[in-house]
Amino acid sequence: MKTILHTTLAIAIGILALPLSADEVPGAPQSKPIVLTGGTIHTVSGPTIPRGEILFDKGKIIAIGTSVEKPEGTETISVEGQHVYPGMFESHSSMGLTEISAVRATNDFEESGTINPNVKALVSVYPDNVIIPVTRANGVLFALTAPAGGLISGKSAVLQLDGWTYEDMALQPETALHINWPSQTISPRRRIRMTEEEISKAEKEQAEQLYKIRELFDQSRAYRDARSAKDSRQKYDARLEAMIDVVDGKLPMIIRADRAEDIQSAVSFGAEQQLKIIILGGYDAERCADLLKKHEVPVIISAVYRLPQRRDESYDAAYTLPQRLHNSGVKYCISGTDRSETWNARILPYHAATAVGFGLPADEAIKSITLYPAQILGVDDRIGSLDVGKDASLIITDGDPLETTTTTLAAYIQGKQVDLSNRHLSLYKKYEQKYEQLKQAK
Amino acid sequence: MQSRCIPLVIAVWATLFSQICLAQRENDDDKKTGRFADKNRSSIQQEGLNTNPPVRFAIVGATVHRTPTSEPKIEMLLIDGSKIMAIGESLVLPPGTQTVDATGKHLYPGLIDAYTGLTYDLPKDKGTAYWNEKITPQLNVADELDLNALNPEKYRKSGFTAALVAPSKGIVQGQSCIVLLGNYQNQHSILKSNIAQHVRLTVDRGRGSGYPNSPMGAYALARQAMYDTRWYEEAWRVAAANSNVERPERNAALASLASAINRQQMVMIDTSNELFAIRASRFAREFGLKLTILGSGNEYRRLDDVVALGRPIVLPVDFPKAPDVSSPEMANDVSLENLMHWDHAPENPARLADSGVSFVFTTKGLKDKQDFLEQVRKAVKRGLSPEKAFAAMTIDTARLYGVDDLIGSLEKNKIANIMVTDGDLFGEKTKVVETWVDGVRHESEQEPLREVAGTWKLIATGFSNHSLLIEKNKNALSASIVSQSELEKADQTSDQEIQNDKRSDKKSSRKPGVTVKPIGLTGTRLTGAFRSDDFGHPGISLFSMILSTDQTANGQLNLPDGTTVPFSAQRIAETPVEKATEDKAVVDGITKSGESESPADRIGPVAAKNSNISASFPVNFPLGAFGRTELPSQPKSVLVKNVFIWTSGEPGNIENGAVLFGDGLIKSIHRANEKLPSADVVIDGTGAHLTPGIIDCHSHMATDSGVNESGQAITAEVRIGDMIDCDDITIYRQLAGGVTTANVLHGSANPIGGQNQVIKLRWGQNEAGMKFEHAPHGIKFALGENVKQSNWSDPSNRYPQTRMGVEQIMDDAFRAAIDYRKQWLEWNQNHEGLPPRKNLELDAITEIIEGTRWIHCHSYRQDEILALMRTLESHDITIGSFQHILEGYKVADAMATHGAMASAFADWWAYKYEVKDAIPYAGALMHRAGVVVSFNSDDAELGRHLNHEAVKAVRYGGVSEIEALKFVTLNPARQLRIDDRVGSIEVGKHADVVLWSGSPLSNLSIVQQTWIDGRKYFDRTEDSKTRTEVHQQRLTLIQKILESGEEMERPDVSRIDPAKLWPRHDEFCGHHHSEEDHWGEQEDAHE
Repeated sequence: MKTILHTTLAIAIGILALPLSADEVPGAPQSKPIVLTGGTIHTVSGPTIPRGEILFDKGKIIAIGTSVEKPEGTETISVEGQHVYPGMFESHSSMGLTEISAVRATNDFEESGTINPNVKALVSVYPDNVIIPVTRANGVLFALTAPAGGLISGKSAVLQLDGWTYEDMALQPETALHINWPSQTISPRRRIRMTEEEISKAEKEQAEQLYKIRELFDQSRAYRDARSAKDSRQKYDARLEAMIDVVDGKLPMIIRADRAEDIQSAVSFGAEQQLKIIILGGYDAERCADLLKKHEVPVIISAVYRLPQRRDESYDAAYTLPQRLHNSGVKYCISGTDRSETWNARILPYHAATAVGFGLPADEAIKSITLYPAQILGVDDRIGSLDVGKDASLIITDGDPLETTTTTLAAYIQGKQVDLSNRHLSLYKKYEQKYEQLKQAK
Repeated sequence: MQSRCIPLVIAVWATLFSQICLAQRENDDDKKTGRFADKNRSSIQQEGLNTNPPVRFAIVGATVHRTPTSEPKIEMLLIDGSKIMAIGESLVLPPGTQTVDATGKHLYPGLIDAYTGLTYDLPKDKGTAYWNEKITPQLNVADELDLNALNPEKYRKSGFTAALVAPSKGIVQGQSCIVLLGNYQNQHSILKSNIAQHVRLTVDRGRGSGYPNSPMGAYALARQAMYDTRWYEEAWRVAAANSNVERPERNAALASLASAINRQQMVMIDTSNELFAIRASRFAREFGLKLTILGSGNEYRRLDDVVALGRPIVLPVDFPKAPDVSSPEMANDVSLENLMHWDHAPENPARLADSGVSFVFTTKGLKDKQDFLEQVRKAVKRGLSPEKAFAAMTIDTARLYGVDDLIGSLEKNKIANIMVTDGDLFGEKTKVVETWVDGVRHESEQEPLREVAGTWKLIATGFSNHSLLIEKNKNALSASIVSQSELEKADQTSDQEIQNDKRSDKKSSRKPGVTVKPIGLTGTRLTGAFRSDDFGHPGISLFSMILSTDQTANGQLNLPDGTTVPFSAQRIAETPVEKATEDKAVVDGITKSGESESPADRIGPVAAKNSNISASFPVNFPLGAFGRTELPSQPKSVLVKNVFIWTSGEPGNIENGAVLFGDGLIKSIHRANEKLPSADVVIDGTGAHLTPGIIDCHSHMATDSGVNESGQAITAEVRIGDMIDCDDITIYRQLAGGVTTANVLHGSANPIGGQNQVIKLRWGQNEAGMKFEHAPHGIKFALGENVKQSNWSDPSNRYPQTRMGVEQIMDDAFRAAIDYRKQWLEWNQNHEGLPPRKNLELDAITEIIEGTRWIHCHSYRQDEILALMRTLESHDITIGSFQHILEGYKVADAMATHGAMASAFADWWAYKYEVKDAIPYAGALMHRAGVVVSFNSDDAELGRHLNHEAVKAVRYGGVSEIEALKFVTLNPARQLRIDDRVGSIEVGKHADVVLWSGSPLSNLSIVQQTWIDGRKYFDRTEDSKTRTEVHQQRLTLIQKILESGEEMERPDVSRIDPAKLWPRHDEFCGHHHSEEDHWGEQEDAHE
């Protein structure tokens, strides 16, 4: 049994032996059925199966159970003593859109201007971005990648973190429209540097932004109607064209809002306009729980590793937010975006783990980084849990992913084996050589 | 010779009147020509006809309050020219004395404003100024004063007749003078100059550029200026005595500062909070200064500390307005600290007085000087004795500034500076009706010829049974016409309505009847307009009435159709609502609704008076949520048993062991089944884990120093330790993550940054109590992109711009220090030539060379790491620690050879170019190469779970669990050279321990208790109790505000403590997280 595991590891090491310039190679399409046996299968959606079996073929899960029927030519891989989980899902990031944030040339997530509903994150996702392999090496196989900045930032996509091109990586090319909800507050830090006139001007501008959004939605409906009536007076407008799916309620909006006032304002706007909305941030979401539930608005918690935002709040205010939303019945998932940004998206499970330390049930924590983001972002027909018919996108670990000591031993995306090597591992191996050489020279 | 001491300018008395009432009507022409100048006392030449009005006055019939302690009596006060000639019950008046009838009035000494700051600009590049433009001790307000800019009339309206006018720009700001607040030329206004040298140990955030641009930089520069003054005196003394030595520079600034250094002149240091008061005193002690503290109003927060300073305080009375809690969301955003400050601040003067601190009052911070007396009355209502309040704005102020022989009380031969009021000074409604300055009468405002406020019964066809109600709010009139029945109804509900009105703060909703608008009073004629539809005359009617002295009036009414109707009216009550006269509180409620006023008089029976008279909750430390009312106790002995111990020391891990500590130290460690000693406190740690306190080797919490002094490339002179912010909530939050010790570092803006301060997280203690005694000194160095300023949006040309330049500037600094040290050694031996100038920057670098100051260097790339080690080795210096050291894994062998230690990020990378090769395996690689490795936070949030960082050494590179925990316990202690005292659980070390719910290396474990020096500073159970208390206290104070009816204001709109605005992170580091942006706390990356 162990020898089979070693074949897996040998593949990884074999790739490492290649010259560094070869980088990590995307996995080949699944050529034969594979069954993982002997491991604990964490389906997430249903019961956990100790010493279970999971069979997948042509990228889809075919069967899960204590003993499944294996078709002719099935490759059996023993994962004895190991654990099988669905791939983890970072529900907000700039994955593929940035490499080194301080180097402007590597950033492709913020377009100029404030209203950019037409820009699509997917088209500037760079598959050879060095952050991607680092992220998936820790079992994070999916990420929502989103434009940022301005008032309306653009459209996000759900990525699976392996592929030759962004098209290979696109699990859902257009997932949501991203809006930074205009806050009505000006912080003391800003205030102190402003004159009275500047403050009132800024307050006015902030208030005007809400009108700006409303106006855009009104315009978009009129534009849609004129265009669908083939009115030749109505010329093409990229921004308004991009709004049609949103105003029709087909494409959700992910609205950045943390303060209760802003969440309330965003939710009532969504209800009034009959839109599908998702709150990103959600720091005060528990205080708006009834409203959120009434309108079935889910929350992407933007980080658990986060400071209390008010001086008087409990030190663990952000740590307990997932548990508080869980208790109040608000649909939520956990992201690390406010803390880990994109470059450290790999620490996603530790955000969830911290919530467990402060009261969230451990199985909920796993759901909040697998099934829940898939449901909230509308891709739960493909990923998020281990269920027959879903994609064979899963990880094999030597323990609980919530613990840092746990290693992701292998991963599959749509049945393709994922190369878990990465720049960090390569540099590690390289400099191990240096100290090995020094030792031998002595 | 050096002290450019302007001789005491005894004021030149000027009198100027033709008629007494004309005093304030004098015009600019009069001033220019000096028409009214008294020839006996002025050099100003008169033009045209000579004007010589009589100069003797007797104010008669008034109650005279000579001093705060004297018995007020009805006396005559005789003025001759500018002076008080006599006071007595019956005086013989010299012939020609004009008599001023002040029957019913009260005479007080004119008030003195103990501080008014004005900004003056000195011409640049002229004369012999200090090299830094923020040091201008030579600036003398007496030379710059423009009385008009001061607007003396504003002061007089509040009873002020004199003020200390001080320069308020820069760090060492210049010298103040006492100004008489009449309307004369400057020559006649300055009573005494060179009163004090004014200093501010900080700079404004984000304003201006150049060095210094941080509070700690300001403190360092002020110190340097003081040392330079000493040197300047000494150098000139030597040069004067020895013809063979070189001549030192001439410097007017240093010459002026000498009198401050020599205690001849008072030094007044501006403080924005109580911590700055403590710092000011520390600064004054270093140089033996005669210090007066320009206070903040926050002194009550660290009262014992402030009392211990033993310094007089110039105290503002700008008590905060009530925080805005008018919506649930706003109420939720207000901090308990702001709520408590509102509740406590008016008691600040009383508490200082009760503690024996001497103070005088200033108008500083008041937007409107006319609020001054009201605020002082508030302080009196909140426990300050009227005598002390009186003295703190008159005689005590005069005494503090050494002018009590001239002003401050009503006594023979003193200057006739008088405040005249219409009642007792501390009476709620007392107004200042006039002032006399230097013998000249200034009426505050013309009394109206007729009193109109009240109820006027109308006698007119079609308007019978109606009354005209007139209200006067300050000087604005408002009026309405109300029927008798409405008036009666209003009577019944007035109490209720007044209460409602206060809450809704809408004046108009209450008024019944028809509004009269506009309404105006000209002399004895009252005119108005109103909609007369209800009276059968559709449209707007106009009226005009002439008021007689007998409370009656006759007038005519012009109806919309042009008909004229005569009418008469009689004033039947002095208030708009008759019933109101029976209840004084209600009158106040109506006439002053909307004004900020003491709650006690306005609420009446609704709120018990006593609950408003004193603050609801005791002061805690720091003030606000999670502050302590007392230091945690230090039990004689504490035994933690049945616990899994990670000692991080020799004993390794001990399952089911026990630790005994007491008197702040670890006493004994016991393995399973050993016989355990008894103890006063026994903690059963079954299922729990015990570790040494977490040590964060790279933090920027607990400092309001600004973190970076980026005004220069070398700032070794600045010290984080000058600016420890013991009130930073991050301290408490990190205690909750098990941190007990932190290395608070200067930021990474400069190749050679400032001096660090190692602290213990003794939450609740003061600045001094935070400092880790015996921790060796250190200093921040930095390499790479930050010091090259390569990620700045605007290109910079500061030296250095390359890693080549960084290497050179560091080497150059060491060589300069070597030369400096040599110079001092030689001077100390032979005293030849000019004395060397003490240089705080080179002092610190010299200490590095001498091995008494450790370098903690921000570093990324392997080349810069190697280059620094080589530079240091060439000067025989061992580095204290490399910080971040992300590519240390590439040169770990060289580091081990040098003896360099690594305080690293566990897994940070990719946020800037120089960290593209950072890997989480770095810690393990360096550890294996024999380097002492720690993981640090450099971040307020990350510091709360450094255990989550430590375990990454296990995950990435396979460091053992025991060794991995040392990355956040023993190893940082070694890097800070405090491992003989902390870092492990070993007998004799400090009892700094953390009790965890499970393994510290599990992400699922949390901290249950954190102990420092054998005192429990954090306990999760107690924390949850505190949360409930905080919640209750907030609710109580929010209710108190709502019930008080006081005007509310967003705390950030009025006065925010500028010290709170400085970042508690390294702005120049390029990795701080953006979450604050989303919350609306966006900050500029670079100033």
